[in-house]
Amino acid sequence: MSILKLQNVSYTYDGYTKVLNGLNYEFEKGKVYAVVGRSGAGKTTLLSLLSGLTSPSEGRILFDDKDVQKIDRYQYRSRYVGVVFQQYNLLPHLSAVENVELSMRASGKKFKDKRKRATELLDEVDLDDSLAKRRVLKLSGGEQQRVAIARALSFDPDILLADEPTGNLDLATQEEVMDIFSRLAHEKDKCVIVVSHSPEVAASVDEVYELASLGKSKKQRAGNEGKR
Amino acid sequence: MLVIINALKSISRSKGRNILIGIIVLAIAASSCVALAIRNAAREAEAAGLELVSITGTISVNRQMMMSSLQGGTFEGGIPDMGSMRETMSLYQDLSLAELLSYAQSEYVKDFYYSSSISLNAGGELEAYSTESSSNGSGNSQIPGSSGNNQFPGGMGSQGGMRPGSIIGSIAMGDFTVTGYSSEDAMTKFINGVAKITDGSMFNIGSSSMDCLISYELAVFNGLSVGDTIRLANPNAEDETYDLTIVGIYTDTSSSESSNMMRFSTSMDPANLIIVSYGTLQSIIDHSVAVAVTETSGEYGFESSTALNGQLSSTFVFSSRENYESFGEELYKKGLSDYYSLTSSDINNYEASLTPLKNLSTFAVMLLLIVLAVGALILVVINVFNIRERKYEVGVLTAIGIKKGKVALQFVTELLCVTLIAIVIGAGVGAAVSVPISNNLLSAQIEQMETQAVSQEQNFGRPGASGGMDFAQGGQRPSGMIDVFGSGAQADVTYLDKINATVNFQILGQLVGIGIILTLISSLAAVVFVMRYEPLKILANRT
Ligand SMILES: Nc1ncnc2c1ncn2[C@@H]1O[C@H](COP(=O)(O)OP(=O)(O)OP(=O)(O)O)[C@@H](O)[C@H]1O
Ligand SMILES: [Mg+2]
Repeated sequence: MSILKLQNVSYTYDGYTKVLNGLNYEFEKGKVYAVVGRSGAGKTTLLSLLSGLTSPSEGRILFDDKDVQKIDRYQYRSRYVGVVFQQYNLLPHLSAVENVELSMRASGKKFKDKRKRATELLDEVDLDDSLAKRRVLKLSGGEQQRVAIARALSFDPDILLADEPTGNLDLATQEEVMDIFSRLAHEKDKCVIVVSHSPEVAASVDEVYELASLGKSKKQRAGNEGKR
Repeated sequence: MLVIINALKSISRSKGRNILIGIIVLAIAASSCVALAIRNAAREAEAAGLELVSITGTISVNRQMMMSSLQGGTFEGGIPDMGSMRETMSLYQDLSLAELLSYAQSEYVKDFYYSSSISLNAGGELEAYSTESSSNGSGNSQIPGSSGNNQFPGGMGSQGGMRPGSIIGSIAMGDFTVTGYSSEDAMTKFINGVAKITDGSMFNIGSSSMDCLISYELAVFNGLSVGDTIRLANPNAEDETYDLTIVGIYTDTSSSESSNMMRFSTSMDPANLIIVSYGTLQSIIDHSVAVAVTETSGEYGFESSTALNGQLSSTFVFSSRENYESFGEELYKKGLSDYYSLTSSDINNYEASLTPLKNLSTFAVMLLLIVLAVGALILVVINVFNIRERKYEVGVLTAIGIKKGKVALQFVTELLCVTLIAIVIGAGVGAAVSVPISNNLLSAQIEQMETQAVSQEQNFGRPGASGGMDFAQGGQRPSGMIDVFGSGAQADVTYLDKINATVNFQILGQLVGIGIILTLISSLAAVVFVMRYEPLKILANRT
C-alpha cells in the first residue's frame, strides 16, 4: 500500500532549469528507502517536495492518495511527516529536550508525558540526560544530528524523511540509527526515506531510489528515472 | 496553548531585549498615566462646574460688543465716529428696575434681588471713618502686588454695577455710601457670614422707614450706638439732609483686611457703608428728585441736576446652570438687544479658576500624543530589528508545521506580555507620582499666569492691584465680583491649585488600551514578516 506517490513530478527553482524532471515513484509503508544520487542531483529538493515545504512545478505528489497541494500542509508536516533536515534546523537557544518537545506540541497529538518521551528518544540516539538538557548551540554536529533525528521521531509520524542523517556519525552510531529506522518501518509499519551517500546505508535498506543528475547527463535523460 | 508556552519561554530566554522594551513601555506608561490623570482631573473639575447649584447672574451692557460692532459696522477699518458711539451708548443704558423685574418673571429665575447705592455726605457732626492721615493718593506704595480687585461698597452682593458710560458731569462723591437692599438675600456678606450684626437688630427690609445699619468702625469713630440718629446730606446740595436712625451695628471682617487698599474716596471704605432697605433708599432718591435744582454749566453747556442718582445693581439667582443658560436665551427671544448680555461671575470665576488646570490638561494631552508617537516609533524600530534576528526561528517553527498565524501570534503575545507587565508597573509608578507631579505642574502654571497678569498690569502703570482703578475709571470689568470660594469680598480669581489626579480604573483601562494599540502597531512588522516569508526560503538562505 503506497503512502507517498510521485506523479510526473518536475521542479525548478528559477523557472527554466529543471532540477527534477518527470519523476514517478511510489513509497510504501513498512519499508526503508534510500535516495541516492550525486551531489546536486536534487535529493534535498525531493525531500522538500515530499514534506510539503514547496510544491512541484509540474506533476503531483499524493499522500494517502490525496494531493499534498490540496491538504493543510502545516498539519501534514506537524502530524504525519517527521523531517531530519540536512542542516538539522534546530532552535539553537533551546535545549535538546525542548526542541523535541516543541515538535510534539506542534503536532497537537496527545502524549502522556512529553518530557519523559523526549528523554527516552534522546537516550535511544545515545544522548544522555546532561546532553539532553544542554542548549543545542553547545552540542557537536553529530549530537545535533541525533537531536534532529529524535525530534523527527517524537510525534510518531507515519513518514520519516531524513536528509543524510548519518553524515556526521561514526559507523557504530550510524548502524544504531539505521537499526532504529528499520524497526520503525518493520515493526511500526512506518515509511522511512533516507537520503545518503553512504554505501553501507544503501546496502541496509529495502529499496534504493537513484536520482539521475540532470545537469550532467543530459544525453541519457528521460529514460532512466523511475523504479529500478 | 502552544503559542503561550512558546511565548513565555521565548520571553525568559531573551531577557535583555525584553527588559529594553519593558523600560521603554514603562516610561510611556508612567507618563501617559500622569497625563491621563491630569486630563481626568480637569474633566472632573469642569463637570463639577456644571453642577453649581446656586448661580447668580446679572444683565449688563456689553460694551465691548457695542464698540466692536460700531467700529466694524459703520467704519470698516476706520476711526469710530465718537458721536454716534456716544449716541448708541446713551441709548443702551443699564436696564431699569421695571425692565429687570419683568425679565425676572421667567420660570428659570429662582430669585431676583437688587440693591441701589447713593453717595452722601455727612450732614451734621458725623465724620467719615478714615485711617489715612494724608490724602488718598499717597497710599499707592502700600498696595500689595498680588491681589486683584479692590473693594467698593456696592460689592455686597451687587454685580455688574457698571457705571453708565454716558453720564457726564457732576455726581459729586460723598463720604458715605448708602446702599438699599431689596431683600436680605441680596446682603451676601451677611449671608455668607463675613458681616454680622453685633448690636441692635436688622431693620424690616420691606419697609421704607428711615432705619439703617452702620459699621462698627463708624460707630466707634463717632461714638454712636443703637438708637442714635445720624444726619446725611446730598453732596450736591448741602442743605438737603436726611436723618437715619441706627437700629443695628455690624462688624465686617473683610473691611479690616482691606483697609490698606487704595481707595478712590472714603465712601469706598466698607466702614463707611450705611445699609438701608431699598424702600428707604428709594424714598430718599424720590425726595431728592422732587427738590432738585438743575444747573447748566456755562463752559460746556451740559445740564446737571442736584438730584441723587441711585446706582442700581441686580442679581438673578438660578438653581442650575441649565436654567441660567435657558434664561440667557429667553432674554433675547423676549427682545433684549444684543448689546446686553447675561453674565455670571460665579461661572466666570469658576471657569477662570480652572484655566491653569485646563492649560495643563491640554499640555498633558499633547505630551501624551508625542510620547505615544515617539514610543510607538521606537518600538517599531526595535521590533523590526528583532524580527530580522529571529528570521531563522520563524523558518524552523513553520518547517516543523506550526502555522504562520500562530508564529505571528506568538511574537505578538510575547510583546503583549512584556508590554502589559511594564504597563502595570508604569501605572503603579504613575499613580504614585501623578498627584505630586500634577500639583507641581499646576502651581508652576498658576505662577506663570500670575506673573503674566502682574506684568500686564505693570505695563498699564498699575502696580498690580487694579480693580479699584478700573472702577474709578468707569472700566468695564464687572466690579465687586463674588468669589465662588467664599472668601467674601476678595474679588480676584482663586485658581484651583490642588487637584486630585488619582489613577482610577478608567485610566487603567485607557492605559491597557494604549498598551494593546502600541503592541499591535509595533508588532505589525513582525506579523507582516512572518506572513510573507516561506519557510523553505528562510532555511535555504541560512548562512
Ligand atoms: N534555493 C535554491 N535556489 C536555486 N537553486 C537551488 C536552490 N537549492 C538548490 N538549488 C540547486 O538545485 C540543485 C539540487 O540541489 P539539492 O540541494 O536538492 O541537491 P542534493 O542532491 O541535496 O545535493 P547534496 O548531496 O550536495 O546535498 C542544485 O544544482 C542546487 O544548486
Ligand atoms: Mg542535500
